[in-house]
Amino acid sequence: MRSTSGTISTTASLPDERPFLRQLATVRWALLISALLISLIGLVTVHSASSELSIDYLPRQAVWLGLGLLVFVVAFTLDYQFLTKFSLPIYTVAMLLLLLVLLVGKEAGGARSWLGVGAYRLQPSEFAKIATALLLARYLAGINRRFLSFGQIMAASSMVALPMVLVALESDLGGAAMFVPMLAGMLVVAGVPWRYFAVGAAVALVLAAVGWNLVMLDYQKDRVRTFISPGSDPQGSGYQLRQSKIAVGSGQLYGRGYQQGTQSQLRFLPARHTDFIFAVLAEEWGFIGVAAVLLLYAFYILNGTKVALRARDRVGILLIVGLLSGFAFHVLYNTAMVVGLVPITGIPLPFLSYGGSFTLANFIAAGLILGVDFRRHVNR
Amino acid sequence: MRQVREHKEDLLQRLPRLQLVLFGLFLLIAARFWFVQVVSGDYYLELAENNRVRELPLKAPRGLIYGRQGRLLAENVPSYNLKLDPSRSQDLEKALSFAEHCLNQPATELRQALDEGGGAGSFRPILIAEALSLSEVAAIEAAALEFPEFAIEVGHLRLYRNGPITAHTLGYLGEVNERELASEVNLLKPGDLIGRKGVELAFDDRLRGVDGQRAVIVDSRGRFKEEYGRDPAQSGQSLNLGLDLELQQEAARYLEGKAGAAVALDPATGEIRAMVSAPSYNPNIFSRRLDRDAWRNLIEAPEDPLQNRVIQNTYSPGSVFKIVMAAAGLSEGVTDPKQTVWCGGSTRIYNRRWRCWKQAGHGHISLHRAIKESCDVYFYHLGQELGIERIAKYSRQLGLGRPTGIDLLGEREGLVPDPEWSARRRGTPWYPGETISVAIGQGPILVTPLQIASLMAAVANSGYQVRPQVVESPSVEKEQLTVEPWVFERIGAALWSVVNDQRGTGSAARVPGIDVAGKTGTVQVVQQKTWIKSEDLPYEQRDHGWFASYATAGDKQLVVVVLVEHGGHGSTSAAPLAKRLYEIYFRDYLDDGQSS
Repeated sequence: MRSTSGTISTTASLPDERPFLRQLATVRWALLISALLISLIGLVTVHSASSELSIDYLPRQAVWLGLGLLVFVVAFTLDYQFLTKFSLPIYTVAMLLLLLVLLVGKEAGGARSWLGVGAYRLQPSEFAKIATALLLARYLAGINRRFLSFGQIMAASSMVALPMVLVALESDLGGAAMFVPMLAGMLVVAGVPWRYFAVGAAVALVLAAVGWNLVMLDYQKDRVRTFISPGSDPQGSGYQLRQSKIAVGSGQLYGRGYQQGTQSQLRFLPARHTDFIFAVLAEEWGFIGVAAVLLLYAFYILNGTKVALRARDRVGILLIVGLLSGFAFHVLYNTAMVVGLVPITGIPLPFLSYGGSFTLANFIAAGLILGVDFRRHVNR
Repeated sequence: MRQVREHKEDLLQRLPRLQLVLFGLFLLIAARFWFVQVVSGDYYLELAENNRVRELPLKAPRGLIYGRQGRLLAENVPSYNLKLDPSRSQDLEKALSFAEHCLNQPATELRQALDEGGGAGSFRPILIAEALSLSEVAAIEAAALEFPEFAIEVGHLRLYRNGPITAHTLGYLGEVNERELASEVNLLKPGDLIGRKGVELAFDDRLRGVDGQRAVIVDSRGRFKEEYGRDPAQSGQSLNLGLDLELQQEAARYLEGKAGAAVALDPATGEIRAMVSAPSYNPNIFSRRLDRDAWRNLIEAPEDPLQNRVIQNTYSPGSVFKIVMAAAGLSEGVTDPKQTVWCGGSTRIYNRRWRCWKQAGHGHISLHRAIKESCDVYFYHLGQELGIERIAKYSRQLGLGRPTGIDLLGEREGLVPDPEWSARRRGTPWYPGETISVAIGQGPILVTPLQIASLMAAVANSGYQVRPQVVESPSVEKEQLTVEPWVFERIGAALWSVVNDQRGTGSAARVPGIDVAGKTGTVQVVQQKTWIKSEDLPYEQRDHGWFASYATAGDKQLVVVVLVEHGGHGSTSAAPLAKRLYEIYFRDYLDDGQSS
């Protein structure tokens, strides 16, 4: 089975353009619309969150949003079958970039995970996730079996382990952890016998113990400790956790009003425009705002799943599953962190938090998902 | 139409299950938010209302600036500022009229400061008045219970003890602007002060410290209860300058009421001992919120007091340039020191008559005497023989037409003209007659007073130049010149005669017991057709006077360059200041027993 390579040649091969346009119209644009709605809410909230910071991050985030749309179009245009075919070179380049960060990267917030390009900074780990999803999709799609064997699971895991280790070496444990849900989602859908889950859980526990003793830095341990007993360090991580919870709670049902949240405006909240932006939103728009945004995220995932369900091949399905699992976990972890359910790590909220690389990566993912949808009928 | 070769069914079965799990987790999160926001919302709202931890910035004190012998030149003095927190105010109008009464300042000004700081809706205390007197502080504090919205903050105010005397060297501070705030490298906050001119600008990174933070618990009225945590501020580095305050004061006094520049430096190290530009301004007015009228006056003043004339203004060098001519002539073998030229008060070159400053003429004159008595005719002929290319080559070699590399910003590089420049910038060919003008330092050639000081240092050092530096540094950057030492020695001997011989033009700088060597210069501002005395002209047409010199006593050396705009002849307008500076600097070596 061969595919045409890219939309351009698809259109060229058709005598008139009507089928192309018709095909374009049947793509699940609702996914992009929900992403854009969240992004707009993000812009408004970033503006409010930065009102007491030295600069307003709104114009910058608007630029990132514009660039995001651009990379969306590019990702949508590229044929995912073509990309998965070349996933190994893409993956290799991504790994080299991660290595480069380790060698010449810049430090921010305790983690050395940035590459400076002039005045701009990029975080290659965000793009490494997409590259890894492409490679995994290709590998797992090639296994035409009901269940994966142990060796295949190990092979898939090792593809994820390499970038995870590299990102963890940058001291960005949160970023490294985000590879796990992606892998887990893809494995579950590709077929993992139940008994392996029990083994996996045991291995995870051992790794956690080893990580705690050997890998984690003091500030990271502090965060976990204070999560377990928040009173122990009122000025550090426990302080952040507590302030975030106060912000969320004081929003009540209807919120305190735009730019009226005392927690956000009085600078009690840390990283208000990035990791804790949801706390600002919760304070200012209340449970109504929280529910609305959570619904938008669920709507995004629902649409993504619909696309996967009608995709034409295994690679497409698995790629979407990988991208969506990572996305969903970001949303779940961040919101749970803001409301005090899980320890603090630097995990931002897709489309809502301020951030360049992360915004771009999410728009690339959206473009890939809809690209799969656009090509669901292409056949030859 | 579909060809199904792959097994997709398994995947399609499992996917909805995964989605179900995810939505279940979403519901869980939503439930948690419902619990925190709606069920326990009142509890958290109360916590938010009583959130009594305040983070207060701890301003890092700026590094101090010292002159030679540890004389303090720039320091920080405590200043009491009044802040108003509108969110704690019951009646903003009443509060403002109370402040008006206490401070004797019109309420409109206070209101303006309030609006600029964020207005009545701000959640943060806003600075509305600076530099309160102690009695004003007492009056505000006494009413603290009635007006909890006011807070007195102790800040730092930059104070330049010598005000206008050191203004151009030290510079001043200014509040950061939007653009500087936006660049992340600086880590600046609104309201921060950074260097705007002089040493304050060039060494801002070292002088500025790192602000700290203090977390305090306050009571419900916002009053301090106890400290909770502290991240101390790191104060900025202090700087030691080579500036000699006495020389600086003397030069400033001499140039008061005039326009001009004076610079003194140690030729061995390049350390600046004095740097004065006149007219000056008071840098202390920039340390507080700026008075708009005072600022406009400074900007619009025709004599441009903000300009540091030592490095930022360029002038024709006049006869001082004869030093460069002599170096070129001797090095190229064009000039034989023993040969003489006939000066009859004027000469004819390229069908034009060129006048010497001395109408009666110098008669038969050698290089030594031509420098000593500043004969123009001698140098007209030398210029003709050398040609503009070689004159330009030696000018650049001796540091003209390029920055000296002083550790201040905004230095001008001046201009060394040549035919290539003429074609490129003026679009006209170079006229041979211009070479003759340049030979006596007139025409398009332009220099800064500091470049002339650097040139004098090369003569004093017999062959190497040093990079001038205001701030002391352990390293001295020397540049060995290709002009050979014997050339400088011969020129030095002539310059000595300028000051110490009969008929020398620089006798006003003579100091008994000290070897002063120098060159006068007079720059025509408006070209005169005949011999007219400068003093008879209106001020703005009068000549600029130069005196470029160096002196040696024991193992001490000093270069002094003085320029007085529209001061008339250099021998009378500029040389006397050099004499005074040498008398101060070489006090221990003087003959007449002033000190011993």
